[in-house]
Amino acid sequence: MLLPEPSEVLPEELAGLWRGQFGGPAPRPLAPRETVEGYGTFTFPYGPISMGVPESGRFDVVTYGERILELAPLGGYKQRSVLAALAGTPVEDAALRIERIAGNFSAAHVAAFLAAAESARGLRVPVVELWTRALAQELQRIYNHIHVLARIAEAASQNVGQAQTHALAEEILRLQARAFGHRWLFGALLPGGPARNLDRAGRHALSEAVRTPAREFDDLWELYLDSRVFVDRIQGTCPVPREVAVRWGAVGPTLRACGVPWDDRLRVPEAPYNDLFVALAREHDGDALARLLVRVQEVRASFLLIEQMLDRWPADVSLSEAPSPPVRPGRGVGRVEGPSGDLVYDVSVAHDRIVSVAARTPSQANWPVFAFGMRGAVFTDFHFAFESFGLVFAETDR
Amino acid sequence: MPSWIEQAAHRGILTSRYPRERGSDAEVPPTGRAPVPSASAGPTGAAIAGCPVGAIGPEGVEPGRCIRCARCLAHGYRFGGPVEASFRAPPGRAGPEGADVGDEPAPLAPLGRSLHLFLVDVGSCNACNLEVLALANPFYDVSRLGLFFTNSPRHADVLLVVGVPTDAMVEPARRAYDAMPFPKAVVAVGVCPCSGGAFRGNPGLRPSLGDILPVDRFVPGCPPTPVQILDAVLRVAGRARREE
Ligand code: SF4
Ligand code: SF4
Repeated sequence: MLLPEPSEVLPEELAGLWRGQFGGPAPRPLAPRETVEGYGTFTFPYGPISMGVPESGRFDVVTYGERILELAPLGGYKQRSVLAALAGTPVEDAALRIERIAGNFSAAHVAAFLAAAESARGLRVPVVELWTRALAQELQRIYNHIHVLARIAEAASQNVGQAQTHALAEEILRLQARAFGHRWLFGALLPGGPARNLDRAGRHALSEAVRTPAREFDDLWELYLDSRVFVDRIQGTCPVPREVAVRWGAVGPTLRACGVPWDDRLRVPEAPYNDLFVALAREHDGDALARLLVRVQEVRASFLLIEQMLDRWPADVSLSEAPSPPVRPGRGVGRVEGPSGDLVYDVSVAHDRIVSVAARTPSQANWPVFAFGMRGAVFTDFHFAFESFGLVFAETDR
Repeated sequence: MPSWIEQAAHRGILTSRYPRERGSDAEVPPTGRAPVPSASAGPTGAAIAGCPVGAIGPEGVEPGRCIRCARCLAHGYRFGGPVEASFRAPPGRAGPEGADVGDEPAPLAPLGRSLHLFLVDVGSCNACNLEVLALANPFYDVSRLGLFFTNSPRHADVLLVVGVPTDAMVEPARRAYDAMPFPKAVVAVGVCPCSGGAFRGNPGLRPSLGDILPVDRFVPGCPPTPVQILDAVLRVAGRARREE
């Protein structure tokens, strides 16, 4: 299957926006601009360096004082030209660079990239490799969702809550390090990743070890729900109407929080998800609270998925059963549900070397709806809104 | 009804005893150490050819270029370098145990004990940013050591720089540095600012942070563990030994 050119399937404005997100020097717009004018309005640039958003990127805030009339996210400051520089590298070396596009989404990026490269080369992958990738992705989804909760609690000055939640996120990083040899899963998903520790004993240890954070997460969330201040602060913040989310191609928890039942793990049943129970998380209000509720449901669903996976791990199949790669050039598409949404890679390979790589990342798709939701918000909404989308500048500045 | 206090008390003390004690295995996973050849390592030719970033030379592993991909483990190497390895100069080829952790000047020693840290991202993948921020979580809790994150470079003593310097970030990073009061120190966090790491040689990138700012310590690792970053900060403050 090949990806159609964006202009063939998308409204021209969206195709144009996506092209503009990557061309040209910094600062470049990540969301459509609407010219707002009026008595006393001015543009306040926030960034590219600010501790409020730990990454480098800029926001131009059009305002007359308190209310944000328009917010324009601007990227390109961290442009590392990763994808462009991949041409000619072997697939395994390319994967090491792909996972470093966005370190906290590394498992999703590498799984989508490898799926695309394998389909381009006509390779069949041992089932146990697919399960390993899925296990890593579910762990990383839990980490990212918990991290979002911790950041929102931080913005809401829930001091005990944010400390406890950041501690829980650290526990997940340590689980990842124990199972895969690396806190951010770098290098662990490549075939035969040598630091990986997923033999029978390692899996048993992991299934024991995930019980504690699963229980702690439930306890923490109960306490958050008891805090009226916390819930009130994010309810109604940065709402995204369903039509806007669909029109601008929003993905992931952002889309599901608007009531759209779309999760890539349920789209085409592929191993291992065809053998497991995958719960669909969905909310209807489209605000920061709804996005957080979707994430909370997904943390629970992912803990359940991990439990199921470790329970019925497939028998090991040696790598030699995979057919040797064909020499013919090919092109393939890989698609996974990353922590922040649907992630697509389109890879062309010839003689086991990369010809070209293109990607559609969740952050890229969600910037426009974030900017839309911020219209009419007040300054203090910014951090709650920004964190609730799980946006990463590194995913567009690649 | 359960309360936050009960919940926190129930979990007990999580905080690391570093630097009073060494980093535990949970704090420093295998990839938190640089690879070194083990006794059984064969000829280095295969390892040199297999390293995706050219970090292995005839004299050993260059930690400032190694992205900890674990590929050389198949050629008899093992992750065994010192945890606290960080460098004054952009790391060159190091000996078998990989580091120059000797006595060195501590630019912030006159400030005594408490320091304020400011994070600048000049082109990272976000993992280094999160590892730096992890220093504030209860497991590392750097405020117990008098270290605090600040929101403005004007209040900062230490600039923690993550990522490989892009052309667009050279000017903002210099301005953040200029805004800091004296005495000040710069710590380059991760293999990206040391040498470009996995992105070395891509268009629009500077080879090393040392080309744009005066760097006091380079911390290798991709990303370095929080314990490594903490050690480098204590070193520029002249406190790394005092805690023992
Ligand atoms: S771990 Fe990877 S990058 Fe580091 S020296 Fe070994 S092969 Fe090279
Ligand atoms: S050193 Fe590694 S983890 Fe840190 S920003 Fe660079 S690629 Fe990411």
